[in-house]
Amino acid sequence: MSKQVSTKKRTLLFVAFGWVLLLLGDRVGDLELYQGSFVATYALAITSIILLTGYSGQLSLGQSALMAVGAYAGALTIFNAGLHPIIGLFMAALVAGVFGLILGLIAARLSGPYLAGTTLALAISLPTLANQFPILGAEEGIVFDVGLPPARFGEDFSQYKWFFWISALASLIMVWFIANLLSTKYGRTFRALRDNPIAAELSGINVGRLKVTAFAISSGVAGLSGGLLVMLISGVSPSAFPLSLSFALLGGAVVTGLYNLKGVILGGLVLVAIPEIADSLVSRIGGSEGFITTLPGFLVSALLILAVVFTPNGPGHLIKRHHKK
Amino acid sequence: MIRQFALPTWGSKMTEFITAILTSLSSGAIYALMALAIVLVWRSTRVINFAQAGQAVLTTYIGYTVIQRTGSYWLALVVAVISGAIIGAVIDRFFMRPIFKRVKSGPIVMIAPVVATLGLLGIIQAIIGFIWGLTNQSIEAPVSTGGYKVMGKVIAFSSYNLLVLVAVAIAMLLLTILFQRTNIGLALRASAYSPEIARLSGIKVDAVRTLGWAIAGASGGLAGMLYIPGYFLYPNAMDLLLVFGFVAAVIGGLESLFGAVAGAMILGFAINFSTTYISQKLFFPTAFIVLVLVLLIKPSGLFAAKKSRGA
Amino acid sequence: MIRNKNMKRASLVSAVIATGAMVLSTLPAQAATPGVTASEIKLGISSPLTGSAGLSYGKVPGAMKAYFSYINANGGVYGRKINLISRDDKYLPTLAATQTTNLVLKDNVFALVGALGTATHSKAYKAAALAKNNVPDLFINTGFSGFTDKTKYPTTFMVLPTYAMEAKVIAKAIKDNFPGQATFLVAQDDEFGSDGVAGFKTAGHTFSAAPILYPQGSMTAARAEAALTALGATPGKPVVVLFGTTDVTATILKAAEKLALTTKFTWYAGSVGADANTLLALGVKPTTIDGVITASFMPDAKDMTDPYVQQFADINAKYNKGITFDNYVLAAMNSAMLTVQALRAAGKDLTRAGVISAIENKGANFASAGLVPLGYSPTSRIGYNGYWVAQLNAKGEAKPYGGKLVIYSTDSGAGAVSVSTFVRPTMPKNGIPTNS
Repeated sequence: MSKQVSTKKRTLLFVAFGWVLLLLGDRVGDLELYQGSFVATYALAITSIILLTGYSGQLSLGQSALMAVGAYAGALTIFNAGLHPIIGLFMAALVAGVFGLILGLIAARLSGPYLAGTTLALAISLPTLANQFPILGAEEGIVFDVGLPPARFGEDFSQYKWFFWISALASLIMVWFIANLLSTKYGRTFRALRDNPIAAELSGINVGRLKVTAFAISSGVAGLSGGLLVMLISGVSPSAFPLSLSFALLGGAVVTGLYNLKGVILGGLVLVAIPEIADSLVSRIGGSEGFITTLPGFLVSALLILAVVFTPNGPGHLIKRHHKK
Repeated sequence: MIRQFALPTWGSKMTEFITAILTSLSSGAIYALMALAIVLVWRSTRVINFAQAGQAVLTTYIGYTVIQRTGSYWLALVVAVISGAIIGAVIDRFFMRPIFKRVKSGPIVMIAPVVATLGLLGIIQAIIGFIWGLTNQSIEAPVSTGGYKVMGKVIAFSSYNLLVLVAVAIAMLLLTILFQRTNIGLALRASAYSPEIARLSGIKVDAVRTLGWAIAGASGGLAGMLYIPGYFLYPNAMDLLLVFGFVAAVIGGLESLFGAVAGAMILGFAINFSTTYISQKLFFPTAFIVLVLVLLIKPSGLFAAKKSRGA
Repeated sequence: MIRNKNMKRASLVSAVIATGAMVLSTLPAQAATPGVTASEIKLGISSPLTGSAGLSYGKVPGAMKAYFSYINANGGVYGRKINLISRDDKYLPTLAATQTTNLVLKDNVFALVGALGTATHSKAYKAAALAKNNVPDLFINTGFSGFTDKTKYPTTFMVLPTYAMEAKVIAKAIKDNFPGQATFLVAQDDEFGSDGVAGFKTAGHTFSAAPILYPQGSMTAARAEAALTALGATPGKPVVVLFGTTDVTATILKAAEKLALTTKFTWYAGSVGADANTLLALGVKPTTIDGVITASFMPDAKDMTDPYVQQFADINAKYNKGITFDNYVLAAMNSAMLTVQALRAAGKDLTRAGVISAIENKGANFASAGLVPLGYSPTSRIGYNGYWVAQLNAKGEAKPYGGKLVIYSTDSGAGAVSVSTFVRPTMPKNGIPTNS
């Protein structure tokens, strides 16, 4: 835990983890696989926030908009251009990354709340644009179809398992890539920038360029997770990317701890499990219609707050302390 | 056969222009109500308070209940403003303060309050739903909502719109005097800019910050009671207004009360002119475009104090 | 100290994982026909209970449950009690997808009823693999014409006519009653509006200006005032068609009050946005509502001379305590009544395929409160096939326009609008279906 993991060792860890997931995937039902796919997707989206906020110190409230960009890019690639779903997911990351690069040029000039305001405004305006272009399919949106699982996997290989494989694999590869990136020279400069921007600037780091880079990469990661998300709901539409998604992901990032990628699965799990727990608790407690209706919202919010109050720095806090020495 | 009508004449062009100005003013005033509350919290604790939408609606529901019981809007307004102040103070004392005790440095300082206040927003909205039910209500405006008649034509501006504008102006003036001319104001500013130095010079920083939240809560209560009569009352009634209020506050530089109102007016004019003259579809994108344009020119907003930039 | 903290965190983490795992655990055993036992039929609904959409539609699951409770108390469906499981999707596509999947995989429901919304349900339908598992998707609450496509939605049955059909009927009513007047359209800028625009085009109706299409949430008081001021310059008494949700209708009518333009226009509010109770609750003056024209396929919830309405209001009073009986409750109970008939028509050996074919073959003859014919057939999945034109009065009652009930029937395609002589089936005794 305290040592910087080498690239080789990390790769082995990721492969081992992937293997565990693969085995696990054979032993659980469709519902668990489907929920697992969401965990992987949200974990990836949280990764994009950790990279942006935890490492480069920029706060975005518009991650849902970047996910939307990726999702539409992916859907157009698959549905309209008729290309392979893998290319679709690749395009989701690429287009969102390029979009993020442009946005990052603006963002790099802005600090804290100003960037938060800008990304918030983006998050409310971008989805309404989707209705303006017939090619984007308005509210019914565009189908995002990764197709049936290959026949050689057999009859029993369900659509949900296929979703799980794709989302888990895509997330693993992307997180592996980011983890490696952060352990290179780039990662160290990111940390220097986060911990002390002024010192970083004085020591010759081009702060502006670094921030733009972080924004672009983070957007690419968000774009991929957006692509995965609409794969899971089998289509993209503007209302799939509400502001509340951005906010939920921020909550997940706080639960994860902003300074390390190790907890992202936990963050994803929390985002999927908390509403489920709230729902099943409520159905067990019972009560008046008004009570049953409003209680889940209350519980989800309360749990989120408890997470912030009790582990505001997430499980990764100690690791960060170590890095700082 | 449907008759086609002639293109607008010069007279209707003029009406269109005047209406655009009037509607811009009334929208700007509404955005300003929320922008003021956001700036007040930002100044005192460096928090973007997303729960403000919930606090304001909650106090408006309290006001609504007072109206149901007594029939008096003005009494309800007073009750809402006072309860807004109490709720704001309670939230800071029992909610934000414990969080800040644990969160002290690094990017988490930006993000934790956002997540916490969002959680709080959810809780408040659930509580409202539980107490008052998830249905639409309405509050009747205390003054006429009928448009003024000018040269025989009814214009898109009423006593109610005027009331909101005047209330915004008075609130801005009173708060500015409080901040600039009184000892309390000095303490508020000192604790916001440099809590450590303020503490050393004998200011009870924690209490002062709570006071800041109370003032913001009161201002939110005012916002709700003034906004809802022109709209409807339901738990999410002020969510979107919060977003626009925040955007307006950022345009204005987040520090200055005058900036908040100016930012809100800029936003109001931009949105109403772009939707009138180009397309209704630009309603939301305009907020983004205006914000980006302003920030490209002045990265800390129009009326920011220079030293606050690093915040 | 650090060790301690570390442990505390570790235990919290493991607690969360454990609860998560608990929730994600155990799949219910697969029965022969999912959701059906000797004593119970499990149905599911995913719809908005909270958030803005919940304000209007939050009553739907409760009203359906109330009707099912009434049926259960009167012997159920061939002895089986109906158990409706409701899940909140907040009108968000992602939640609709996961909640519907939960209903199918976790709650193991036999069929879905009353799903609401286009963006939400189009996603949920595929994500929950309703087509693959042949899960009946009954009486969905959206008028989007895309759902009529049987190849895409092979198990779906609509209950509302499509928005395009409504536009065609309104176009005919305008042509018949207000010839020569200017006409304008104010519509929500999504499939709701675009379906409507397409319907008017099919009917050959041209508006006097380009339709005002507004993104959801953008029709503020200020925008409504600006729009009406511009339209107010038109000579004569122009017809303004409002194709949006009820809150927008209220905003626009209030703007008209402010500008003293309520009598300047003939108001034509689409069926989705014309609930009089809601308009009044939103602060629109009774005098403004008086005269607003709308289209409906259901009787008015205030019309207690209608046997169906009376029966449903009775059930509501007994089984849905504390909830005001209104058009939303009426529509929901009506869908529940259709559901009971569909389940009965499928016979005692209840199967998913059986229900689908029962509606295709017998659905057109189901008894329902609707005043227009039901269009179910092996080729058509559209429920109600037309509208009657109504006019609201100051009490918020909907009365036939011109004093005489005229039923217009049409299809969702290019077909003409014709006057129908349809007389609805008499209500089964006490509102308890006995069909087979």
